[in-house]
Amino acid sequence: MSTKKILLVDDSCTARLVNRMIFSQKTNYVLISAVDGKEAVERAQREKPDLILMDIIMPRMTGLEACRALKKDKETEKIPIILLTTRGEERYVQEGYASGCSDYLTKPVNDVELLDLLKAYLGE
Amino acid sequence: MTSTKDRGRSPANASVHTKRANADSRAHAGSEKVHLHVQQLSLRQQMERNHFLLERLNASSARLIQSLDNEDVFEAVAEIIGNLIGSEEVAIFDYSPADETFSPAWSWGVDPADMELFKSGAGMFGRALNQGTSQFRERQIEKDLLPFEKRLTACVLLKSNHEVVGIIAIFGLLPQKNRLEWADYELLKFLETYATVAVQFQRLQKKQVAP
Repeated sequence: MSTKKILLVDDSCTARLVNRMIFSQKTNYVLISAVDGKEAVERAQREKPDLILMDIIMPRMTGLEACRALKKDKETEKIPIILLTTRGEERYVQEGYASGCSDYLTKPVNDVELLDLLKAYLGE
Repeated sequence: MTSTKDRGRSPANASVHTKRANADSRAHAGSEKVHLHVQQLSLRQQMERNHFLLERLNASSARLIQSLDNEDVFEAVAEIIGNLIGSEEVAIFDYSPADETFSPAWSWGVDPADMELFKSGAGMFGRALNQGTSQFRERQIEKDLLPFEKRLTACVLLKSNHEVVGIIAIFGLLPQKNRLEWADYELLKFLETYATVAVQFQRLQKKQVAP
């Protein structure tokens, strides 16, 4: 039984709802959430999730800024971060990797693709 | 055991024939197994596609209900379209039956000047109104499209008890999204009904607040 913890960061309530539904029905992951980059950094430092799934465009602190902040911190630098974004163009993808993310998924997210990627990172 | 056909043949020939028949029978059983497996896979995919849709409908419904309390119905509709369908260019129009015109009520990622072009209700808006059904760009005849409709992907008719309340216009899709898919059409059907209810609720709320 897996007890891996995933931090989902998205300012969109719809995105959080649909991901919560996917996770609760198809996985045993524990899902915690944050609504912007700033809250994500605080929650990641406090709760040390096994993986972070994060949107890019958010109020207060963007996903890219949060990603950079988490990678600078010794406590959170090793947590894999998967960025979720509506922008799939090459330059946005490169910007994402430059910020330190491990992977990239474009919206609308396909749940099979998402769960396969999580399995690859969490080893299950 | 030899069959009727094998009578009169040498034992060696009969043995070859039997081996061949056995091999044929094994091949047939194998192909039958593959066929059944393919059928099973297809049925499984069908179930998973349906489940994928239900998850999205469930999340959309929960978001619309939440929007009634938050008074952000338009934002909720745009969020559903942005996250689950894949467009960041959405406009919502109110319809006035008295003068048969549309007026822009809310937009996200759309130039307000572009929205003005749709007020008269010409083109896809008019067809949605006259036919009483939502209209989709890829189901339109090219020559019927008005110049300003080229970027329009869908006109989702908001209708309640045969009364048209408005239209949700979806313009360009995200670059990674080439076209609307089966699950998108189903989700838009859901919005036809439930976004209408939510919009009507919000209007009543505003009327109550207004002096």
